[in-house]
Amino acid sequence: MTVPALEADALGKRFGRRAWALRDCSFRLPAARVCAVVGSNGAGKSTLLALAAGLLAPTEGTVRVLGAHPAAARPRVGFVAQDKPLYPQLTVAETLRMGADLNPGRWDADTAHRAVAGGDLDPGRRIRALSGGQRTRVALALALGKRPELLLLDEPMADLDPLARHELMGLLMGEAAAHGTTVVMSSHVVAELEDSCDHLLLIGGGQVRLSGEIDDLLAAHTRVTAPAGADLAPHEVVESRTTGRQLSAVIRPSGPLPDDWRTHTPSLEELVLSYLRNPTAPAPAPEILEAAV
Amino acid sequence: MTAALTAPAAPAARPAGVPRQWRWLARLHRSALIGGGALVLLTAAALVWLGGPLTDASAAAWKAYDACGFTPRCSYDQSAILLYKDVYNYVTFAVLAVPFLVAAWAGGALVGRETESGTASLAWTQGVSPARWLASRLVLPAVLTVAGTGLLAALHRWAWETGRDRIDTAKFWYDAATFHANGIVPVGLALAGLAAGALAGLVLRRAMAALAAAAVAVGVLWGAVHAALPYLWPSVTRVTALDEGPLGRGLHVGEGVLTAGGGRAAAPCLTSRMQGCRDTLADMGATAFYRDLHPASHYWPLQLVATGILLAVAGLLTYAAFRVLRRTTGTTRG
Repeated sequence: MTVPALEADALGKRFGRRAWALRDCSFRLPAARVCAVVGSNGAGKSTLLALAAGLLAPTEGTVRVLGAHPAAARPRVGFVAQDKPLYPQLTVAETLRMGADLNPGRWDADTAHRAVAGGDLDPGRRIRALSGGQRTRVALALALGKRPELLLLDEPMADLDPLARHELMGLLMGEAAAHGTTVVMSSHVVAELEDSCDHLLLIGGGQVRLSGEIDDLLAAHTRVTAPAGADLAPHEVVESRTTGRQLSAVIRPSGPLPDDWRTHTPSLEELVLSYLRNPTAPAPAPEILEAAV
Repeated sequence: MTAALTAPAAPAARPAGVPRQWRWLARLHRSALIGGGALVLLTAAALVWLGGPLTDASAAAWKAYDACGFTPRCSYDQSAILLYKDVYNYVTFAVLAVPFLVAAWAGGALVGRETESGTASLAWTQGVSPARWLASRLVLPAVLTVAGTGLLAALHRWAWETGRDRIDTAKFWYDAATFHANGIVPVGLALAGLAAGALAGLVLRRAMAALAAAAVAVGVLWGAVHAALPYLWPSVTRVTALDEGPLGRGLHVGEGVLTAGGGRAAAPCLTSRMQGCRDTLADMGATAFYRDLHPASHYWPLQLVATGILLAVAGLLTYAAFRVLRRTTGTTRG
C-alpha cells in the first residue's frame, strides 16, 4: 500500500488536568479499508476520531491523516460527529446548498442528494423538525457530498431503525467502494460492523488493544475447549474460563495444539468481547498488527 | 469486504477554491440581522424625532416659561418639556445598551451556540478552516457594529447639540451618560464586546455562559474606562480666591486648597466668607482654592484615548480568540 489513511504514533490526549482520554496509541490504517473502531463507552473512540479530523490537538505524539497533518488534510476528510450537529434553522435543501458552497471544487451534489433521497425527506423541511434518523441522513449526505478520501464516522447508525440502518450502510459502502474511500467508523454494537468492515481497531482504557485486518485477527486467534486443568502454556491466553470439567478459552496459539482440544475460529463479536472482558489480556505481537500493511 | 475497486478520485487536480461562507453567515443569523437592523433604525428614528420636533417644542416651552418671570398666572407647554426629557433619557440608554447587546449576541448566538452544539466543528470539517471561520464571524459583525453604533452615536450628538443652548435642562457635555453616548466610546466598547463574546464562546463552549460572560466583560470594561476617564488626558487647574470657593465647570478631576508652602491639601470647607471656615483655612496656611478639571475642549481627546484603549483591548481579545482556536484544534495556520 502507499500512504496510510491514518497513522498514529504514541498519540495521547488529556483534557485539562483530568485523566488521559487516549494514551500511547500507535497504529496504521491502510487506505481504501473500512475500519471499525470498537470499544466500551468512554474508551476514547470519539477522542481518536476528533484528533484524526483535526478538531482536537494531541497532547502528545502525532497523528497523520492521508500522509499529512490533520489540519492540512481537513479538506480531504469527511467527519460526522456523534450528535450529528447541523444548523437547526436551515432547511434540508439549504443545508446541502451550504455544503456545496463550503466545498468548492469538491462537492458532489448527486451523491449528497442520493443520501437524502432514500429517507422520504421534504427538502423544504427545517433541520430542527427532523427526527434523529433523518438528521443522521442529512449529516451523512453532507459528509459524502464532500467526496472525502477518508470518512470518519462517530457512532453513525446509533439513531437509526434497523431498516434505515441497513439501507444507509448499503449506501455508505457503495459510495466507499465506488470511490475507494477509506471509512473509519466507531460503534459499540459489534454485530453491525461485522459484515461491512475489513479492519478492526479495538480501543480500551485509552489504548489500542487490537489493530489489524479482521480476517488476520480472527485467524490468529483460536477458541478452544479443553479438559479442566489443561495447561494453556506456551500459548498466549486472552480469556479462559472453567465450567465444571471443561475449560474454554480464547488463545493465540504459538504452536500446534493437542489433538484432544476442540478448536474453532472465534466470531468477531466473541473476539472483541474476550478482549473487552479482560483488560489485562496481552496485546498481540506487532507482526500481527503489521501483517496487513 | 475490500473497497479498493476503483482508483481513488484525484482531488489534487481540482481547484482548491475558497469556501463561500459569507452568504451562509448572513443566512444563519438572518433573524439577528433583521432584529438588530430594526433596533438601530427605530433608535435612529427616535433620535431624529428627539433632535427635530421634540427639541423645537421643548425649546418653545422653555422660552414661554422663562418669559413668565414672576407672573402668577402664566402658561407654558410643560408636557413638551417632560416628553423631551423622557425621550432623551430613553434614547441615551438605548445607544449605551448597544455594546451590551452586541457582546451578548456574539457570545451567545454567534460563537457560543456553535461551539456548544458542535456546528462549529461541522463548519471546520466542511472545508472552512477554523481560522477562516472565526475571521468571518468577526469581520462582518464588526463592520455592521461600527456602522450601527457609529450612526446612533452621531445622531445622538446631533440631537444633543440642537437642544444644548435652547433647553434649560439639557444635559451638560460631561454628564456621564451623555459624555459616552455623544462620542465614539460606544463603538470601541461594542467592538471589545464582540471580541469578548467570541473568546468567551470559544473558551466556555456554552451559549448562555458565554452570553453572560461577554455582557459582564463589557460592563467591567466600561466601568474601568469610566473610572480612568479623568486621568486619560492632562487636566487644567483653575485657582480661585479663598472667598470664592473652588470654581470651574467641566469634568472634575479633583479639588482642594493650595497652601503657602506650595502644597495641596483637601479642602476642609468651601468658602472663607464664613467665620469658622476662614479660621480653619488660616490655620492650615491656605492661600487659594484649586480645581483640576477638563474643559469642553478636552472632550475629543478624552474620547479618543478612551476608545483607543478599548480598541487595544478588542485587539488583544481577538488575538486571544485565535490563539485559543489554534491551540484546541492544532491548526498551524489558516
